Amino acid sequence: MNEQQIHSKITSLEIEVLKAVKQRTLEKHTEGPSVERERLFFLLLPFLDGKQWSADIEQTAKTVSIVYAALHAHDQVKEDILASKKQQLTVLAGDFYSGIYYQMLSNMENLTMIKHLASAIISVSERKASFYDQVERPIQLVDELIQKNEIELIEAFYNFYGYHEYTKLAKAMLSYVRYENELKCLKEGGQSRILQLLNKSLRYPADPEAWLLKKLDVLHDQVLELIRDAKFDYELKNFMLHKITPHQHRAEQLTREG
Amino acid sequence: MEKVKLKLLYSDIKPELDMIEKELEQAVDSESPLLNDASLHLLQAGGKRIRPVFVLLAGKFGNYNIDVMKRVAVPLELIHMASLVHDDVIDDSELRRGKPTVKAEWNNSVAMYTGDFILARALEYITEIEDPKLHQILSKTMIEVCRGEIIQIEDKYKLDQNLRDYLRRIKRKTALLISSSCELGALVSGADLKTAAHLRRFGYFIGMSFQIIDDILDFTSSDEELGKPAGSDFMQGNMTLPVLCARKDQAIYELLKNNLQKDMTDEERLTIVKTIRNSSAIEEAKKISEKYLEKALEELSYLPKSSASKTMRKIAFFIGKRKF
Repeated sequence: MNEQQIHSKITSLEIEVLKAVKQRTLEKHTEGPSVERERLFFLLLPFLDGKQWSADIEQTAKTVSIVYAALHAHDQVKEDILASKKQQLTVLAGDFYSGIYYQMLSNMENLTMIKHLASAIISVSERKASFYDQVERPIQLVDELIQKNEIELIEAFYNFYGYHEYTKLAKAMLSYVRYENELKCLKEGGQSRILQLLNKSLRYPADPEAWLLKKLDVLHDQVLELIRDAKFDYELKNFMLHKITPHQHRAEQLTREG
Repeated sequence: MEKVKLKLLYSDIKPELDMIEKELEQAVDSESPLLNDASLHLLQAGGKRIRPVFVLLAGKFGNYNIDVMKRVAVPLELIHMASLVHDDVIDDSELRRGKPTVKAEWNNSVAMYTGDFILARALEYITEIEDPKLHQILSKTMIEVCRGEIIQIEDKYKLDQNLRDYLRRIKRKTALLISSSCELGALVSGADLKTAAHLRRFGYFIGMSFQIIDDILDFTSSDEELGKPAGSDFMQGNMTLPVLCARKDQAIYELLKNNLQKDMTDEERLTIVKTIRNSSAIEEAKKISEKYLEKALEELSYLPKSSASKTMRKIAFFIGKRKF
């Protein structure tokens, strides 16, 4: 499969997901469902890598993406501000998407996957809640919590269909994408819960930018090693390296350091 | 007093309900101390437990086995709880049943994760029942409940909406989950389909009556009895049945219109509450609730006489006359 074909497969799944959760009012008043292409890529990776695949598996992949959208919607609910219409509907969007994934899997009679996804959501919610307790955690532990949350739902999907071999790579690459987004947010002067956590956990003087740059380097090395050892075809390897985790930060860091 | 009455009504299934209560506590047990506290906070705030009660009573029309029934009764209450914790974020509510809400005690994010956690626990729990039909009914209901809430937000502050809009909204918001509690209780116990259909309709009519009474109580009860300010529905822009009935009086219509979408003082709020309370709207709304109650009782009359149907009948009457 060449780059164009990979792109169009991702787009086709993206369209399917958006169609499944379409709701007029939510579409009008909220930011709409967050469907990240990197995640869709990893849900499709077994197919792209030539593993056994079926319409049912693809439908399940769609439900995983819907769960991500549901959880993402609830992440967007702001702290302690008066309930605006957008905020109110964002809460309901998350609940609505949850109902949709449950209905889709019920109609497929895939009750085991409902259970697996529910367990994964429990773990993700517990970790996210832990970001709000008063416990001081070392940066390594915070990093691990963040990375686990990135992979949890996809891992449930991989485990269910026996695609365990992709977990490590997906975890490294999705964490890379997450931290890259956090770095972008930091550089633009934005704030996020993750950035707050990094600030809190890093030893004085806290320099989240330096930590993120270093982390991105480590993750990229890990990604390179995992891709090198995997038996993907050339096009797929190329796609991962250049479209999912293009690594610009090392150069930026070198420039910064003179 | 009202709570004592309710306890008496539940006396036939008290041991099972105590078991459900313990299961609920176990179900919300979490590795996260924060989620644990927030969920228990919500659970211990109490509630009528109408949904699990109806699951259990409906189960008495089939082969009742508490170990199976609890697999439906517990998640139904959890789903309701999850929706409450999210509703409090939507309505920006500080109090529920006289206690601070999760969002007030912690914050919006913790409330969101608590709701997600409780809902996921419910699904984890109910998937022990391996009947796809049950999950198809429940998931459809959950989607409809959300649609009802979305419509409620769309209809906010619309004083000129019609009665049909209101009824459709409360059907989705409240009646469907109670209806599903009855239907799923029957199905999981292996009751025949005709019985399950009567119970589903019973639950639907009771749910409609229940919500109308709830909307009436928002005007007729005191702040203390409600555990939140009376007239909260109107303040939040929700046009409930008493408002829709009262607006027929031009003077009341003007009063309501002038106070829509406005930061009301306590005095203004109480003026509206008193005006509606003293109008014919309350009686009119009660009559509509009674119509639904009659229909619910009619559905019960098609079922074999038993101690379960007797208790359901008593609960139906209680719902129609309740004061909290």
